[in-house]
Amino acid sequence: MKVRVFALNATLAVVGVIIVLPFFWMILSAFKSNAEIVGFEQSFWPREWTLQNFISIQTKLDFFRLFGNSVFLSVTITALSVYTSLVGGFVFAKYRFRGRGVLFAVILSTMMVTWAVVIIPRYTMFREIGLTDSYASIIIPAVISAFGIFMMRQSMDAVPDEILEAARIDGASEWFIFHRIVAPMSVNAISALSIFIFLWVWEDYLWPYLMISSEEKQVLAVGLTTFNGQYSTDYGGLFAATSLAIVPVMIVYVIFQRRFIAGAASAALKG
Amino acid sequence: MIRPKRRVRVAASIAAATVIAVSLTACGGGGSGGVEDTEADKGLPVAGVNLTYDPNTLVNDGKPIELEWWAWSNIEQFQAIADAYTEIHPNVTIKVVNQPWEDYWTKLPLELQSDGGPAIFNVHNSQHDNLIAKMEPYDIDPADLEADYTGAAAHVIDGETYYVDLGLMSGSIYYNTDMWEAAGLTEADIPKTWDEFREVAKKLTIREGDELRQAGFNFNGAGQAMQMGMAYQLGQNLFAADGATPAVDNQANLDVINRFLDIYADGSGDADFGASATESFGQGLSAMTYAWGWFSGTLRNEYPDLKWSAFQTPVPSGGETPYAYDRYNGESTFGINANASDAEKAAAQDFLRYYLTDEESMKELSLSFSIFPAYKPIADDPAFTEDPALAAFGDIERYIWPGPVPSTFETSTATMWEEILFNGVAPEDALATAQKTIEKDLDGKGFVPTEDLYPFYAAD
Repeated sequence: MKVRVFALNATLAVVGVIIVLPFFWMILSAFKSNAEIVGFEQSFWPREWTLQNFISIQTKLDFFRLFGNSVFLSVTITALSVYTSLVGGFVFAKYRFRGRGVLFAVILSTMMVTWAVVIIPRYTMFREIGLTDSYASIIIPAVISAFGIFMMRQSMDAVPDEILEAARIDGASEWFIFHRIVAPMSVNAISALSIFIFLWVWEDYLWPYLMISSEEKQVLAVGLTTFNGQYSTDYGGLFAATSLAIVPVMIVYVIFQRRFIAGAASAALKG
Repeated sequence: MIRPKRRVRVAASIAAATVIAVSLTACGGGGSGGVEDTEADKGLPVAGVNLTYDPNTLVNDGKPIELEWWAWSNIEQFQAIADAYTEIHPNVTIKVVNQPWEDYWTKLPLELQSDGGPAIFNVHNSQHDNLIAKMEPYDIDPADLEADYTGAAAHVIDGETYYVDLGLMSGSIYYNTDMWEAAGLTEADIPKTWDEFREVAKKLTIREGDELRQAGFNFNGAGQAMQMGMAYQLGQNLFAADGATPAVDNQANLDVINRFLDIYADGSGDADFGASATESFGQGLSAMTYAWGWFSGTLRNEYPDLKWSAFQTPVPSGGETPYAYDRYNGESTFGINANASDAEKAAAQDFLRYYLTDEESMKELSLSFSIFPAYKPIADDPAFTEDPALAAFGDIERYIWPGPVPSTFETSTATMWEEILFNGVAPEDALATAQKTIEKDLDGKGFVPTEDLYPFYAAD
């Protein structure tokens, strides 16, 4: 038994190292000069440490402004989207009404439509209503998440109906039941969904790029692509900016990680 | 009755919602912000030769106006040009906005087709079909442009010009000067013919047993770039005399393939010696490679310690000027948005004349892009002969532009070279496949080449 556990742990450790190594390589490369990064003789540790890549990203990219824009959008969209998902999930999990199944199927079917199909009509729509170059164009389409509603419904199905009935008998309003009973019982799913949505928004590139024209409003994911030129790539700058860009993702994961697995599992298991 | 604690929460929620609402509705624009210009006479001379620019005017009647200019590289340089113009016309503000190269070609056409987009945008001729319908013609007599800009005639469409070449880029042979010296070679050994080149490549090759340590010549990943240019040396155009049928599967292209395969067969290089010849050259593993002008910028930025130079592409026969040394492609001047307001278009047209006649800017841009300047008044500037990559251009008139050829030429010939080098496909068969693919891809596209505008054009 001990041998099996040891073998399993060793395997996981090897896989973990394989997964994590490129990230460390990227972070360490951020401290190398471009010549060293593209040179033939590669080394894991920088031969000559330099902070120049970190210094230059602010002048080249206005990094902290883009970083702030991405944080604002990610936090706002995550908060709004998680809330609407909770409401949608609550309705589909705990109310019985005509057309409920069909409506839920329609919501799920929106997840099947590929991005490439909707991007041009969506672009035209937002342009026609004059929302280009505004954060509204980024936030509005992301406020309702079909995946989020699905995930929350699966999670809330596990909340016993008897608890809700008891609350109603005690005179609790539906508003109270939702906010004070069902939502707190879905905290694991909320944590998992928050991580998913935050990550999706943080790394979303094409839609913000198409919608936002002003440099001062642009997001970090778009800014990072400017390191890729027509003929060459500024790897040092790209690695430095990317190393800093993953910090919020790490923070969000650290905050929610304890509940993440349970939350993700609750979406897969119907209680 | 709202309890105090709840009241605080409600107030905080309202405040947060207000901040979000303000952020959401914040839009670009921000007003013109410039100053009025009341002095038409700037006391400045008229610039230019045939195409001229008179700065002693009021743009937009001196009223403030802002233009946005989209570009994907050299942002500081373009902004400096715009700022210099603003110094002459303080009421005109031009902001250069950096765009990522790849998705610029998704965003810009979408903006233009939706009647939006910036007043000015940089153009790449490979995107000609996606942009041309929404571009405003230059308010310049094409004859003036042709007189001052090399290759401008090839860009005239129904008597109008929408963009011209800022400069011309083509291929040359880059060589590592340290390896050159170590092999006992001197300037006198720079090869003029491909046969001489083959011998030089042998001398530059270092092997340890069967293992290749230093390639004399490496063209891995660059086969397609050479293929599309070198057949011209043998008098073979890219299109048949009808100006529509691609001419790939022919003896000239087969000769070109075999010439380079022979160099690898000598042992002077190897298909498995790295996937990228330019990277291998930069890393000091290959002594010579073929690349276009952009590579000198890459070498300066990414391999600053490497000692290198460049020479003109060798030719089949010594002492004979080939039909053309190579093909070229241009870095283009900017386009003007047909959707822009009349005031913006008028200001953009004025700025265009300034831009096209500003010798110093043209010189700096050409050096920065490593392109031979299309602007004729600066073509003899010594700065261009000091740059090895530009000096490798010999007779600029002997380079041919086939037009903004569809990407299928490049992708199909790249596949052809991979098939030959890695899959053992016979060159004859690979050429035939490339021909078929290109014909199929071009079918219905209506592409019209500009080879017949080449001064020495000869139909096959």
